[in-house]
Amino acid sequence: MQKAPFVTSYLTEHAGDDAFATLAGYRARGGWEAARKALTQMSPDDVVNLVKDAGLQGRGGAGFGTGMKWSFMPKAADKPKYLVCNADESEPGSFKDRLLLERAPHQMLEGIVIGAWATGASKTFVYVRGEYAQPADVLQRAIDECYAEGLLGSDVMGTGFAHDVVVTRGAGAYICGEETGLLESLEGKKGQPRKKPPFPAQYGAFGMPTTVNNVETFSHVPHIVKNGPAWFKGFGTEKSPGTTIFGVSGLVQRPGLYELPLGTRLDEIVFQHAGGPLPGRKVRGVIPGGMSMPILPVSQLDVPMANEFLRERKTMLGTGGVMVIDDSVCMVRVACVVTYFFRDESCGQCTQCREGTGWLHKIVQRIERGAGSREDIDILLDVCGKMEGQTICAFADAAAWPVQGLLRHFREDFEAHVEHGKCPFPQSFEL
Amino acid sequence: MKISVDGVEYEVAEGRTILQALDDVGVLMNGVDIPHYCWHPKLSIDGSCRLCQVEVEGVPKLQIACNTPVAEGMKIHTQSERVQSAREGVMELLLLNHPLDCPICDQAGECKLQDYAFEYGQQHARTQEPRRAAKKRVDLGPTIVFDQERCILCRRCVRFCREVPGTGELSVFSRGDRSVIETFPGQPLANDYSMNVADICPVGALTTKDFRFKIRVWFLEDVPGVCTGCANGCNVYLGVANNRVYRYVPRRNDAVNQTWLCDPGRLSYKRIGADDRIDHAALQNADGIPVAVPLEEAIAAAAERIRNVVATKGAGAVGLLVSPHATNEDLFVARRFLDAIGSTQAGFAVVRGRGDDLLIKEEKAPNASGARALGFEDAAGLLSRTRGGAVEALVVMGHDVLAAPYAESRDALERVDTLVLLDTHRSPLESIAHVVVPVRHAAEKEGTLTNFAGRVQRVQPAVEPPFEALSEGEALWQIAQALGLPGFDDPYDVRAVSKALAQSVPAFAGLDLDSVPPDGAPLAGAGD
Repeated sequence: MQKAPFVTSYLTEHAGDDAFATLAGYRARGGWEAARKALTQMSPDDVVNLVKDAGLQGRGGAGFGTGMKWSFMPKAADKPKYLVCNADESEPGSFKDRLLLERAPHQMLEGIVIGAWATGASKTFVYVRGEYAQPADVLQRAIDECYAEGLLGSDVMGTGFAHDVVVTRGAGAYICGEETGLLESLEGKKGQPRKKPPFPAQYGAFGMPTTVNNVETFSHVPHIVKNGPAWFKGFGTEKSPGTTIFGVSGLVQRPGLYELPLGTRLDEIVFQHAGGPLPGRKVRGVIPGGMSMPILPVSQLDVPMANEFLRERKTMLGTGGVMVIDDSVCMVRVACVVTYFFRDESCGQCTQCREGTGWLHKIVQRIERGAGSREDIDILLDVCGKMEGQTICAFADAAAWPVQGLLRHFREDFEAHVEHGKCPFPQSFEL
Repeated sequence: MKISVDGVEYEVAEGRTILQALDDVGVLMNGVDIPHYCWHPKLSIDGSCRLCQVEVEGVPKLQIACNTPVAEGMKIHTQSERVQSAREGVMELLLLNHPLDCPICDQAGECKLQDYAFEYGQQHARTQEPRRAAKKRVDLGPTIVFDQERCILCRRCVRFCREVPGTGELSVFSRGDRSVIETFPGQPLANDYSMNVADICPVGALTTKDFRFKIRVWFLEDVPGVCTGCANGCNVYLGVANNRVYRYVPRRNDAVNQTWLCDPGRLSYKRIGADDRIDHAALQNADGIPVAVPLEEAIAAAAERIRNVVATKGAGAVGLLVSPHATNEDLFVARRFLDAIGSTQAGFAVVRGRGDDLLIKEEKAPNASGARALGFEDAAGLLSRTRGGAVEALVVMGHDVLAAPYAESRDALERVDTLVLLDTHRSPLESIAHVVVPVRHAAEKEGTLTNFAGRVQRVQPAVEPPFEALSEGEALWQIAQALGLPGFDDPYDVRAVSKALAQSVPAFAGLDLDSVPPDGAPLAGAGD
């Protein structure tokens, strides 16, 4: 079981309380009242508008407006409509959704029911990452409780609204966290993202209109319904309201989860909350939002963790997975790990991604071995440029950005390898 | 709606993607060059090769033309610097692990990888690592050999098997740069349309066992023609060199065969140069043995025997069993022959077999509809009248009459005084025929064929038979001349026959062989 976060706010306030994962414990903390309010006092459009007003952005990595996404769902009732809760959490460096699944499953389920009401969805598929056996079990217990208490099923809370929640398990592919790769996998097919158009709101799971939201995104919804948009906007920045759960990992004193307002400065997260580097070490760089986001050097950590600020530094919030790298680590090694991962996980559909990820990894390996040349460094950047923005999904960008980031800020490590024919970091970690 | 491509306006249909719309109006790769691998006009859109990216004004990122819906006033640029550079990028990545074994690759010369590499490729590779090694010469099934190294994973073949025959034998296994196309264990690629995967494979990964290494494709001349395997009349190109047909490949005709061809039909080219062609005229001697004679002698003998039957039994005892393998022109001559001699004894026999919902028709001949349109009825009546003694001189085209349901007809054929056989291939009929005249295959003559739906399509000589042979029409014409029948005074001229057919048979109005468009046209009243 995941421990409670070091710093909490509304999402994780009660995450330290084991009872919060049960229906009784959740209700004792005011749980399921927001759903009752939405289903009995608000029209679906009211809920969509409320979430739009609150400015909630998806917490799965792309940061798309949740209310806007819900409004894309067709109004017509000629086909069943579905929600999908993306609990695949496959981004390296991300582990916040696991906490929400294990410690606060009812909070997410309540958000799902509210979202279902808003979009007219009859069923939600929760796609849980294959490795998350325990979170899936906890979630299933919570769902069973909801059915037993009439919070799910043919007559939710006696309102006549029907909604089912089904848990499906992934099989361990990163790409199944991409929403349309997820949909393919959900349908029992190979997890390969779909070309767009059509978008999931027109043609989603099993061909039906579908909206995919992240675990944390759904978890914010009951709080917005309960407390209103103004309250929600009291957290975070003007453009990025609310809190998020930062998962800090890597070479820091206190790796773990921190629920903080969006816009909290990265250096505050790393040095204050996470306790800074290990004794005798210095922070070299921080990946701010999961492995696919470009790294920032220690000189640029004075940035508020919200996309409008991170973009200026050519990186993004992603999933809020903060990965701290210190001065014992060679960035070429980091590039090796990153390119290995993306080469392994590319689904292989698009030319640029299938071939580009393999090529990047080969070149980085060669540089790491000391057999690279200056031209190789230029080729790396050139290949990244050929991959970026040209494929069905954002995977190729996710594979190219971290390499671009490492070369942008730590080119000297690469050049040292090329010039001296070996790694300047004698004690760099094992691959 | 109107879209503009490189400054040229096109009127296109709503709801189509850019590539589809340009294909609809016939300018794709024919005025507007948007290279593509995974997109195929008759398969679902894949959107994965990323080669067809174009610039759409007002959209920041390049868009794939295969999956981007057209919109009113859309301005598309297909040759801008950004587009060219994206194409070069894709080509470099596709060639990264390609073995570049063109000199020993059978696709060379008709390879899209070769073509586009020439246009968008670089002169040298920037890779140092060895190219990815994969399986060579994988036996996918009875018809196809697969080279995994050459495969660019466009997945046309996978989609084809799933979407066209619906058999789904092929799939992409593994992922990323380890992706490979394979069959499932114990389930080979084996369906009636399997060889189409070699046509749609843009590279040399999938080749047919039948054609590979037979000849370099640049020696082949592609002669448009029609497959004669069944009544569907699929449009083909005959690949011809050295007066030999090496293969059929499908010729796109959206009204007939889309871009496909069935395997049995595709392999039916082998009938053209087959060893069992009837390659000489023959007359039966006193012992009942066929003896080779010059063609003119066979024609003269046929006329002589028919003249005797007319003299003794009357013109009504002369019958014509026509072939649905003959052209409309041949059959029109047969019709005129009957009219001139004054007989109504006629019919046609056609072999039937298995059909399907896709292309394969039950009638295993290309022109049964033409025979019907020219007033010929099923051979059953003619055969029964022959058995009853009403017919004493029978001119038989082809040997379809030996097959079910006519098989019992042999006694009828054996009892006639005169049996003149006009045929392409050897059969037991030869041994009972009094006169045998070798005739031309549809790939060896001018004419038109009428498919099951009443579509008239042209055939033309792709090769010349290496022996003396006549079309059925010309053979009958010469017999009629020898008999002195009225209306056969001029030397045989298939164009004149075709014009007369178009003028005198209303269904064929405007359908003489020089007027039929390349993709055919329906019989008047056949609808289309």
